[in-house]
Amino acid sequence: MKLALIANGAERAIEILAPAPACRFRLGDDPARSAQVEVPEPGVYSILMDGRSYEARVEERPGGLVVVIDGYRFEIEVRDPRRWSRKSGGAGAEGVQSIAAPMPGKVVRVLVAPGDAVEAGQGLVVVEAMKMQNEMKASRAGRVLSVAAKEGATVAAGEVLATIG
Amino acid sequence: MFRKVLIANRGEIAVRVMRTLREMGIASVAVYSDADRTSLHVRMADEAEHVGPSPSAESYLRIDRIIDAAKKHGAEAIHPGYGFLSENADFAAACEDAGLVFIGPSANSIRLMGSKTAARRSAIAAGAPVVPGTEHAVTFDEVRDFAGREGYPVLLKAVAGGGGKGMRRVDRESELESALRNAASEAERAFRDPGIYVEKLVEKPRHIEIQLLGDRHGAMVHLGERECSLQRRHQKVIEECPSPLVVLHPEMRHAMGEAAIRAARAAGYYNAGTVEFLVDQDRRFYFLEMNTRLQVEHPVTELVTGLDLVKLQVEIAAGARLPFAQEQIAWRGSAVECRIYAEDPYNDFLPYPGKLTRLTRPMGPGIRLDGCVYDGWTVPMEYDPLLAKLAVWAATREDAIDRMLRALREYDVGGIRTNIGFFRQILQDAEFRAGQLHTGFIDEFFERHDAPNPPPDLTAVAALAAALDTMTRAGTATRTDARSSNAWREAGRRDLLR
Repeated sequence: MKLALIANGAERAIEILAPAPACRFRLGDDPARSAQVEVPEPGVYSILMDGRSYEARVEERPGGLVVVIDGYRFEIEVRDPRRWSRKSGGAGAEGVQSIAAPMPGKVVRVLVAPGDAVEAGQGLVVVEAMKMQNEMKASRAGRVLSVAAKEGATVAAGEVLATIG
Repeated sequence: MFRKVLIANRGEIAVRVMRTLREMGIASVAVYSDADRTSLHVRMADEAEHVGPSPSAESYLRIDRIIDAAKKHGAEAIHPGYGFLSENADFAAACEDAGLVFIGPSANSIRLMGSKTAARRSAIAAGAPVVPGTEHAVTFDEVRDFAGREGYPVLLKAVAGGGGKGMRRVDRESELESALRNAASEAERAFRDPGIYVEKLVEKPRHIEIQLLGDRHGAMVHLGERECSLQRRHQKVIEECPSPLVVLHPEMRHAMGEAAIRAARAAGYYNAGTVEFLVDQDRRFYFLEMNTRLQVEHPVTELVTGLDLVKLQVEIAAGARLPFAQEQIAWRGSAVECRIYAEDPYNDFLPYPGKLTRLTRPMGPGIRLDGCVYDGWTVPMEYDPLLAKLAVWAATREDAIDRMLRALREYDVGGIRTNIGFFRQILQDAEFRAGQLHTGFIDEFFERHDAPNPPPDLTAVAALAAALDTMTRAGTATRTDARSSNAWREAGRRDLLR
């Protein structure tokens, strides 16, 4: 089985040549490697490779997986290589800018309305989580196209609060 | 001694207080909001009472409901923990009026020391040095005039505040208006008081504080210092006892200890309290404020002095005399504490509430973990995101840092982001290890370092684990049809891994 992985932003192909526990795999064009793999707890992979003992903890996240090893965090997106095609890069950088909530929280103040002209760095919406207030700022000058945030509303991480054009 | 004590708090501190109460044979009463019904402090308590909806203003800050809960359960005393009502003089007075013992100082001392500006005046009267600043809540024009006179940068602080809430550094006049507005709004929400005052900012200061303990019969001692210079958003994240600076200049402990005792005595202080000092590059110290309660970071003092501060607080509140004199207090070895938060250190330390899907705690020699989390618990978004305090003790600072690194490596929390990996990066930093600390250390650290790059072999292992896990999940999907069950999923996992 062959998969394309995007690990912390870098693309890698991985091919599983033999399944666990006596696992063999190939990363990209590297030589094939062997690893002894057990799953002592759900989501916890104990991997013995080249005489070293590793413990990888895997969990799902929106759009992929998170793997944690020795405290290092890998955000991994798995793609089926048959359907995978390279995006035409850079699109939309000059178009509409979306201001999204960086964490789950509550909208405490909306400082702009659609149609307002804003300066770079101007505060748009204030979101509070765990008693910390964070002012979401415009990253460049422009005009407010829409404001989805409503005062008092609860928002999820990644939810769009406002757009600037 | 009391037979039953109510803890007017939540989270790790409620759990920590209950542990000592249980050791003393005293029953504990928990209070909880809607968000906390399944929190650990409720599960651990002997008795529990619901005090309102999730927002703290409607539950943990409701003096009337907490007093009613104490009376209903027949508690004789209330331990306020830190935060919430712990530095609220009206609460201490309300306890007294209701015939309950407030485990802390008198309402009058809290009033004097609890307001930063009043505390400053009392410190000046007691002869302690202070940093230039206004002593009252200020308007925009007053802040601008002050900054024009003393020069930028200045620091905005909440009159009623603590813990970094409502605090802002301002480097230039153009930032002033927005900073003042946000600070006042944050202060209003956290303390129900939007008052903000301003201080000249001392560049690259250390934050070193003195732990005090006094009884109700006039005796008072200091338990030495804590180094609390490692802060993010003006909130401490790593604390140590002893301070590496004081180890090099042992006379500082005595000088700061005496100054702290003088300032506290001027306010008629008793029970546990902490005087915070800023220490400048020339080792001059300035009175910053007094915290009239138990500090978050009290475990490092406990580890080095061998004392239980909560037990002493309870005994003092019950009328006992201090069981030791200043010269009987000894400091042994070195302790370090890391505050484990649900937050993303590589994204501006933004809070990261959510459900814990996995938890492995550090164990073994020299480890102390004060926490409130368990596997499957959802970290509520309504409160401070502190999950646990991990403290270690060892014979020397160097050994303590190595022990902390080992403990952090054992510590695994899944489902949410934490600052565990960030602490490992800080504790390996040469400047940290050399004890060259100041309150801007973390900001500068980010200028010197990016998020750590994992070694290449770990990247390969991560890719392998992700691929195997994906195959397992794909296998599960084809095998379970509409009715999925854990047994099926486990069977699928085993099949694929065979």
